[in-house]
Amino acid sequence: MAGTSLKILVADDVRTNVRQIEVVARRLGHTTLIAGNGEEAVELFRTQTPDLVFMDIMMPGMDGISAVREIRSLPAEKWCPIILFSALDRMQDIVSGLECGADDYVVKPASLQLLRAKIRGFARLLDLQREVHDYSDELRNWRAQAEEQSRLGAHVMARLTDAEGLRDPLLRFFNIPAETFSGDLLCAARAPGDEMHLMLADAAGHGLPAALTAMPLTQAFYGMTAKGFPLPSIAEELNRKLKAILPADRFVAATLACLDVRNQTVEVWNGGNPDALFVDDAGRVVHRWASRHPPLGILPGPLFSGQTETVAFHEAGRLLLCSDGLAEAEPPGGGQLGLDGVLRLLGGAGPGLDALDALQRGVKAHLAAEFGRDDISCMMLRVPVERRHRFRIAAPNMPHAEPAAFSDWRLDLSYAARELRYLDVVPAVLGFITQIEVLRPHQSSLFLILSELFNNALDHGLLRLESSTKDRLGGFDAFMEQRQERLARLDDGQISLSFQLHQVEGEGVLDIRVHDSGPGFDYKARFENCGCLDSEDCHAYGRGIALVRALCSQLVYSGAGNKVWARYSLGGRAGAGAAA
Amino acid sequence: MQITKDEAPGRTVLRLSGRFDFHSHRDFRGAYEKALESADVREIEVNFGNVDYLDSSALGMLLLLREKADAKGKQVTLAGLKGAVKQVLDIANFGKLFTIKA
Repeated sequence: MAGTSLKILVADDVRTNVRQIEVVARRLGHTTLIAGNGEEAVELFRTQTPDLVFMDIMMPGMDGISAVREIRSLPAEKWCPIILFSALDRMQDIVSGLECGADDYVVKPASLQLLRAKIRGFARLLDLQREVHDYSDELRNWRAQAEEQSRLGAHVMARLTDAEGLRDPLLRFFNIPAETFSGDLLCAARAPGDEMHLMLADAAGHGLPAALTAMPLTQAFYGMTAKGFPLPSIAEELNRKLKAILPADRFVAATLACLDVRNQTVEVWNGGNPDALFVDDAGRVVHRWASRHPPLGILPGPLFSGQTETVAFHEAGRLLLCSDGLAEAEPPGGGQLGLDGVLRLLGGAGPGLDALDALQRGVKAHLAAEFGRDDISCMMLRVPVERRHRFRIAAPNMPHAEPAAFSDWRLDLSYAARELRYLDVVPAVLGFITQIEVLRPHQSSLFLILSELFNNALDHGLLRLESSTKDRLGGFDAFMEQRQERLARLDDGQISLSFQLHQVEGEGVLDIRVHDSGPGFDYKARFENCGCLDSEDCHAYGRGIALVRALCSQLVYSGAGNKVWARYSLGGRAGAGAAA
Repeated sequence: MQITKDEAPGRTVLRLSGRFDFHSHRDFRGAYEKALESADVREIEVNFGNVDYLDSSALGMLLLLREKADAKGKQVTLAGLKGAVKQVLDIANFGKLFTIKA
């Protein structure tokens, strides 16, 4: 037998008995320790920690039974089998011997074959025990390692996913993990035009692996939102990123949403998550955005669609995004919460964002204090209606003292149809512009101005869309659909942009020129109808231009209405809280 | 989860029953491996008629099968969809990734 060499303790006062066991043990490759009585046996056991013990019963001084009791009372790290080896052969002796803590009983005289067989049998058991011991050691180490990884994961995840946007007063959210921490990822940020972007991502599985899968989304979401990219482009980029790094059987269900208070629209891309809901203040579902796409990370770029669904809202309400863990929340006894359950909890909770806290309490009560099977997360965004169309612009954050020093700077760009079809021109150009130090603090205002002027040139100049379409019921969708269609077919036309940074009467200004190759429009008539800043019935189109006027010191249309020139002052009036 | 296999010429049908979740990994892979290797099989149908639960790792296994089948020029079809199983596959828009049979 190729087993481990054992250290065998033999306690017997008769030399020939000791000799017999020694011979067998040595032939099997084991070593022996010899004790002449019980006291010696206990002492050797304590100091030498043998693997196996042969114990005579009748010995001078401490007898074998007392020695076994003594040995069994010692603290033991591992099991050491004890075989009583005695001439006492009555059943009563054998039973009481085994009951004192011995593991086997061999009656003297015993043959060499029997002794060999006994030693081999116990050697096998000891091997088995060692294996179990090693395994449980390994398990303990793994467990400690897993706990350490989870702790580290939770820490990094918390830092990576924390963002200013999650503390927005319009937003409330909760996340109930199935394990130490959740694999669901919640992100929120304001875009440069003050739109609120949300993302709720739910990676397959839960815990650390799920969190790891969803992690790459954070940076891309925040980065692109800050640069002013629209939702469809963000969805495409997130998908591209995940597709490149995830194995075929991993994916991330995600909902992206954009709330544009100024234009009173909610735009949603949903791939693999439960319906996003627009819930009015009475708790009724007014609109649902069902999952229209496979989750992120499955489709290769050319097959992926970032197409969103935009809905204009006319009443205040709340946008609710959730992971599938919410409706599937199930206590140990069974019984999923269901969408009905979710709506019942919301309906009973009143109009504001506090409803989400009520929902969270309700879900926890439903789970009956158990962890869910899956991570459960939920975001609720207040969707306000602002009659006077107030909007916020991040105040330019610049040192007050000196007029910032800069040299004259100029940028001229021209985009033709082929590129206009797929490029996000505004974020790209904004990226260039805000590389100039003195312009950087004005990012929000410049984004709004540039978006309005560029989109007018594209939508009305080249695509010939009528903004009056937007004012009809369901018109916003129709407008967006028409826009997408015409843009895809655009094969002629050009938009030129020019930026010039210079000083006028000691003040820094940025002149912006946008020129499209379209037929123009009757700007005089348009502004007479809709130039006033506070008009409540002002058309969507007029609102945009009014906004640019509010932000710029001058705005001049020329040509056939296809050329516009705007002057933005760096020093003066572009401040926070402008109203359009 | 239990899987029974029907092998017709050119086509293998995997009939699943019970819960299709992360415990089913080895069984599911074992069930389709032979069909993937066989040059004669053009189509692998996964029948969900008796499946009562499906989780996201099951979706992952289907995607993995799809990728392997694509590489061998074979088609994967999903059949017998109803109830909760159909709902999960609908939300994930698997109709855009697989051929679905009524």
